[in-house]
Amino acid sequence: MTKIDRRAFIKYSAAAGAATAFAASGISAGAQEISRTQQGQRMALLMDNSLCVNCQSCRVACQNENSLPVSEKYIRFDYVDSGTWPDVTHHVNRHSCQHCADAPCVDICPVEALFKGPQGFTHLDFEACIGCGGCLMVCPFEVPVISEEPASGKPKMYKCTACRHLISQGKKPACATTCITNAVDYGPWDEMLSKAEKRVEALRKQYPQASVYGKTQQDGLGLLLILRTPAQEYPHLI
Amino acid sequence: MGIDRRTFLSHTAKAAVAAAALGVIDMRVWAQTVQDAPVVKKPSLCNMCTSECGMHIHVKNGRPWKVTGHPDHPVSRGKLCPRAHAGLHWIYDPARVKTPLKRVGEWQFEPISWEQATDQISDQLKRIIAEHGTESVFGAQYPRTTGSLYLNRLMHALGVSTTQSHEATCQAGRRIAMSHTFGAAFDADWENSDYLLFIGRNMGEAVRTASATAFAKAIERGAKVVCVDPRLSQSAAITEWVPIKPGTDLALLLALCNVLVTENLFDRQFISNHTNGFVPFRRHVVQYSPHWAEEITGVPAEKIRQIAHEMAAAAPHCAVDTGWKAAVGSCYANSTDTGRAVAYVNGLLGNIGQRGGISVPPGVVFATPQFPAPSAPTAPRNDGVGTEYPLASAESGLPHLTMQRAKEGKVKAGFIRHFNPVRSFPDYDHMRAGMRALDLLVVFETHMSETAIEAHYILPEPSFAEREEVVKAVGDTVAMRTKAIDSVHPQTKSFDEIITMLAYKLGVGEYFSFTLDQWNEALLADQPFSLADLKRAGTLAAEVSDEPVLPAGCGSLIPPEQQAPKERPRAFLVSGGDRNPVPQLFTPSGRFEFYSQRFANAGFEPIAKWYPPKTGLDLGSAEFRVVHGKQAYHSHVATNNIPILAQITKDYDTNRLWMNRSRAEQLGISDNDTIRMRARNGRTAEARVMVTERVHPDMLFSPAGYGNRTPYYKTSKELGGFNPHDLAEYQHETISGHTMMSELIVEVERA
Repeated sequence: MTKIDRRAFIKYSAAAGAATAFAASGISAGAQEISRTQQGQRMALLMDNSLCVNCQSCRVACQNENSLPVSEKYIRFDYVDSGTWPDVTHHVNRHSCQHCADAPCVDICPVEALFKGPQGFTHLDFEACIGCGGCLMVCPFEVPVISEEPASGKPKMYKCTACRHLISQGKKPACATTCITNAVDYGPWDEMLSKAEKRVEALRKQYPQASVYGKTQQDGLGLLLILRTPAQEYPHLI
Repeated sequence: MGIDRRTFLSHTAKAAVAAAALGVIDMRVWAQTVQDAPVVKKPSLCNMCTSECGMHIHVKNGRPWKVTGHPDHPVSRGKLCPRAHAGLHWIYDPARVKTPLKRVGEWQFEPISWEQATDQISDQLKRIIAEHGTESVFGAQYPRTTGSLYLNRLMHALGVSTTQSHEATCQAGRRIAMSHTFGAAFDADWENSDYLLFIGRNMGEAVRTASATAFAKAIERGAKVVCVDPRLSQSAAITEWVPIKPGTDLALLLALCNVLVTENLFDRQFISNHTNGFVPFRRHVVQYSPHWAEEITGVPAEKIRQIAHEMAAAAPHCAVDTGWKAAVGSCYANSTDTGRAVAYVNGLLGNIGQRGGISVPPGVVFATPQFPAPSAPTAPRNDGVGTEYPLASAESGLPHLTMQRAKEGKVKAGFIRHFNPVRSFPDYDHMRAGMRALDLLVVFETHMSETAIEAHYILPEPSFAEREEVVKAVGDTVAMRTKAIDSVHPQTKSFDEIITMLAYKLGVGEYFSFTLDQWNEALLADQPFSLADLKRAGTLAAEVSDEPVLPAGCGSLIPPEQQAPKERPRAFLVSGGDRNPVPQLFTPSGRFEFYSQRFANAGFEPIAKWYPPKTGLDLGSAEFRVVHGKQAYHSHVATNNIPILAQITKDYDTNRLWMNRSRAEQLGISDNDTIRMRARNGRTAEARVMVTERVHPDMLFSPAGYGNRTPYYKTSKELGGFNPHDLAEYQHETISGHTMMSELIVEVERA
């Protein structure tokens, strides 16, 4: 266990004690988690698209980790090609829940199925979700997908939950663990941001418009992106 | 507390069963019980491609739940590619072979007992050997420790010389090339390199996990990484891309040699102390100027000169990656010599055994088990290795030539394990006809592959999660696969059991007087840990010698008696210093050989010279060269039947042929159109195209691994897709005998 993991783990353990107390007091699940946010350390997933080879390992690891049906995936990709042969460029970008600090989906969810966790990620109470699609209407990044859950036959919303069951134990989300090019990292938000800024500085020698995406959008994103070209070129970024 | 999807799933799907079985009424309590069940992590090796990444299978409630990379294993280093994750879905695949099967008609089988199957096989094999001799038999496999031990030992015990692998469709050319220049097919030290040049190799999509990690680390560290490729691959997309006309890499490499030599940029000290044949080589490459190469390759002369100068400046901490299949393996008539030219550039840069250069690390050498062993057979081979192909690999053989002999009635029996040459070799009709001409074909498989369904007997093995195997030396570690779960199909038998059973029936049981555990213990005799330790850990650091240990299929092809006697270490751990000692190489001289006497003796050019692909470089106005390559989420026509991987193909529509946009416009073809292809040999096929700027105008890029023909693969059938082996014809390259997979030209029209 690394220092960072350990720290997160200890903080969570402390929070878990408080959560038990809340459970006894009958406060709703969502309210408990929000209270933890104040105690937990803000964490981030960092996606360095400049190292991604589009191997899809994160997607499949995530599907196994979260027992998703074959046709559902929390991680998708956008591709942007430009130029003409032989002066062509190809860029990829991970398209999955950006984990907005100011998350409109959490605000609109009528059943409080969506809630913020102590590390700042947007989690989903899968059982509570009624698949109404409200989140889909307000998501700035067109992330939520509503599908029928095969086992129950009920409509449900699918989106990345930042592997809540792992991060709550101080572990990394499955995508960060498996990534074969270390394009995905997970750690304290500030550390991830400074790592990203350093990397972007190096990238700017070759890609003058390289940037970190997610420092300010929606008051900061839990999924930070390193982009080699301007964000507006990608279909799901604003 | 919110309910995650994992818990929710257990809850809804199993609630009824749970309530009945356990008397649990509160579903949340049950869900929590399922979630909280202990997870046992069993060490294993992935089975989805050649690399066998070390991993842990997480078993919960008796079922594998997920896999994670083994942190100590040198090929995975804690990471796994998508195929490894999807491999779990193979274990419970309904299409698995569950009992021994006997052929009763065209692709039709009925169950047979092990006793009957092995009796019938041994009776028939004895008769075939009595009537046609041991040269009429072959054994072939995807070469891994257990198969290499048991199948080859059985063949040798019977006096059969022809043992084969997939290499003629893989790195056959590279292995001969590297063996005859610097002794063996060593990799580059990617992670620590300052400058890496890749010739067609696509590290991000043709994945060996830790190699891809090292590749990305070099990029992240700021090393210059250049990918020469006729296509903007995912690897090229994150590095500097140098587009090239397909089949012309040899010209580019010879021009790099030219610049290094004529502009005095080579490593004089290395050349004089550690190489042979530099003088004739220097004379030879003078003709290959960058301007000459620009005409052939389309790479600007100035770019060629720039690469040579940059590499010389970074030397010796730089490398031309030694490739795998692609341009240097089995694609073109000139692939073997392209491989030699890769080696020449490295020789000129003096990077052998240097940090960031060609890596020659020490490895683990096992003790030799002392059980009675059969002597090496003396019977002639049936695939021309050692005769028509004096330099070709006897370990790997030439299965496509064996199928030709089978069609001629000279080969009668074959034993094939975990290998699907009917679909994975060019010319499906040729390979299938060869198999069907056999009197006895026995296939050891977990799945009903294209090769299995041509067999007279299919003998089923447990999946990788259910069996143990012979231990494996991987770099400076030893790794093994352990039994993670109980047998899913009780009628399956592990390969060691099957072969031992067959050996006794064939009268050669004396060579199998050991159990798998006893064999493994004997291999580990010199190691500081026991077999039990290894079974617990999966991967353990081991004693290393001063000999390098290479992955299967990468070792030297110079016979030991023709190698220079060992005078100094043949491997060194690369230190942080500027210069490391140069190891003794496995060549006849022990030095780097620009001039190969063995090539000359075999009737080949002692120094590689330029020649174009067999199909030439001039294409008709509607002609294209078909070149295939990997996607990271499929391998070897074996995975597109796995729904979770097939879904990626569906989501992104990635089993289309890539066609250059301007060529498409000239031919009136639009994105997603179906095209009709007619090969120069007259064969035809149809496929959908993706029109893109990312591919060379001469080339149709065919994503590999699609187009299964076995009716037993339902997902694959639904997915569809083109496989160029349906159009390619049986052919063999001159030096290594490989299959020349990209010597395939088609004329295209809109269907």
